[in-house]
Amino acid sequence: MHAFILAGGFATRLWPLTEARAKPLLPLAGVPLIEYLVRDIPEDVPVTISTNAIFKEAFEDWAEGFGRSNVEILIEDVKSDDQKLGALGATAQWITDANIDDDVLLLTGDNYCGFSFDAFLATAVPDTTLIAVHDIGNIEKASQFGTVLTENQQPTTHNRQLVTGFEEKPREPKTTLVNTGCSLLPKSTLPILVEYAKSHPDNIGGVFEELLNRKKPITCFSFSESWFDIGSFDAYLEATRELVGGRVIKEEGAVTEQTNCEGSVVIGERSTVQRSKLTDTVVFEDCMIEDCVLSNCVIDKGCTLRGVDLTGKMLREGSKLIRTE
Amino acid sequence: MRYRLLLTGWLISDLIVFISSYALAYFLRVGWILSTDFPFEPYITVVAITSLLWLVVLITTRTFALTRTQGSIRNLAYIIYSSLVGTALFALGYYFLYGLFFSRMLLLYALVISTVAIWIWHLVFARFQRFMLRRDPPVFPTLIVGVTRESRELIEKLNKGSNPLKPVAVLDGRGCKDTEINGVPVRGKLNKLEDVLSEGITHLIQCSDLEQSLNLLSACRQKKITYMLLPSVLGIVERDEKVESLEGQPVTMVGPKENALMWFFK
Repeated sequence: MHAFILAGGFATRLWPLTEARAKPLLPLAGVPLIEYLVRDIPEDVPVTISTNAIFKEAFEDWAEGFGRSNVEILIEDVKSDDQKLGALGATAQWITDANIDDDVLLLTGDNYCGFSFDAFLATAVPDTTLIAVHDIGNIEKASQFGTVLTENQQPTTHNRQLVTGFEEKPREPKTTLVNTGCSLLPKSTLPILVEYAKSHPDNIGGVFEELLNRKKPITCFSFSESWFDIGSFDAYLEATRELVGGRVIKEEGAVTEQTNCEGSVVIGERSTVQRSKLTDTVVFEDCMIEDCVLSNCVIDKGCTLRGVDLTGKMLREGSKLIRTE
Repeated sequence: MRYRLLLTGWLISDLIVFISSYALAYFLRVGWILSTDFPFEPYITVVAITSLLWLVVLITTRTFALTRTQGSIRNLAYIIYSSLVGTALFALGYYFLYGLFFSRMLLLYALVISTVAIWIWHLVFARFQRFMLRRDPPVFPTLIVGVTRESRELIEKLNKGSNPLKPVAVLDGRGCKDTEINGVPVRGKLNKLEDVLSEGITHLIQCSDLEQSLNLLSACRQKKITYMLLPSVLGIVERDEKVESLEGQPVTMVGPKENALMWFFK
């Protein structure tokens, strides 16, 4: 088996947090998002992370610090959104270029999955595609994902079910069971993926529709643990709230003085917060916050804030908001 | 550099126009001769000294500002005001230097001629300046953020009026299908901001994406770019807003519609 993680997106909806940082490298409760995925992949499974040239160095630095020897960073040679190969296109190119003749654990790098990959892989059946599904409980939200129809529409957790239908971002979803960006593709399906990618390089979910059309069996693994698709500011804060809980995470060198923290608060390395009130807020590294009231905010690294009240804001790296009398 | 040269040329030419207006007034009043009763030399010496003070007054009215439309009533009012001050300063200066008063009609001529001449000259020079400032590469390349009805209208107005702020790129927070607006390329979403700003942008006009105001402002401050905000971003679309001051703190004000005279008092 070989794991392939898609991490080449430019994440424009999370601007400015993703201005100089790939979404999978965004810290979630102090840990880069991609690390949650990679650390759970069995040690003997080689991991390839596909990203673009802009984020090359950042991923290489992360991989070096992470210290797992079988992680490879694959660079998609594009510098903007318009030149992208597409998620499926990038996967197909890797399969072709690297002559992959093995089962592929295909993961999207901007998802947080709370279940264990061991449990997921344990439900796999030879020569059958397996996808991880989650009941998001909201039919409207389901229309933004690939929805999965199964024999039993209320599958019990960690059980295997046969998939009877797959609809990528349907207008009128028939179910709230959605694909979570984690799938195991047996090697027999890879030629179909490569062929389908030629005409649908962006439609990663579409490959499951294609497999079903070609009568290839697909099973699903349902789970009730947390799952987040970190696609927006709200989703990022929601994931932070879930993972941090009601705690305050202070990373190395972080200092708080006369500061009241409520809800989920993360204060990054070497950041200082003085005489302030923080509620459900994430402060990245090297920030200086003084006499501020911040609620539901994400403050990128190197920001200096003094005497300001902010609610629901993402601040770009190096911002200076200093109130002058 | 191009802008500084043009501005210097404008200031110097204004002095010449002012002095010439007073010379013309002299000859119209005294006749086309150099009178011995009322010598030209001391007259023009005082005019030359006064012209410098008059120019300072005109500069303080921000008539030379990039954002000023020379043909507007407001601008004409400032020019009339400066000319009045100029005439008064001239009369006082002449009296101080020579202890004499002279023809009131000459003062009236000088006032009217200098006002009209300066206004016409400003209309001509502003047109020339706009043409020069917009020549490629433009001196003030401007980035428009947000594709909305208001931003489309703004781009059209800036281009139609040959405004010195030349829109060269458009970004939109949510992305849009248009590839260009009134000839200005739509470069993508805000993730392209850093790239576009590094291309020498001098002005950024925010037309939507209110939630990103702080970040756009921060980017502008870091790169020493002038930031502007359309009132429509705040929902003010009736063109009746004013920027006022409450105890020294600037506020954007939209008041109820009432008698126009109350504008002076409220």
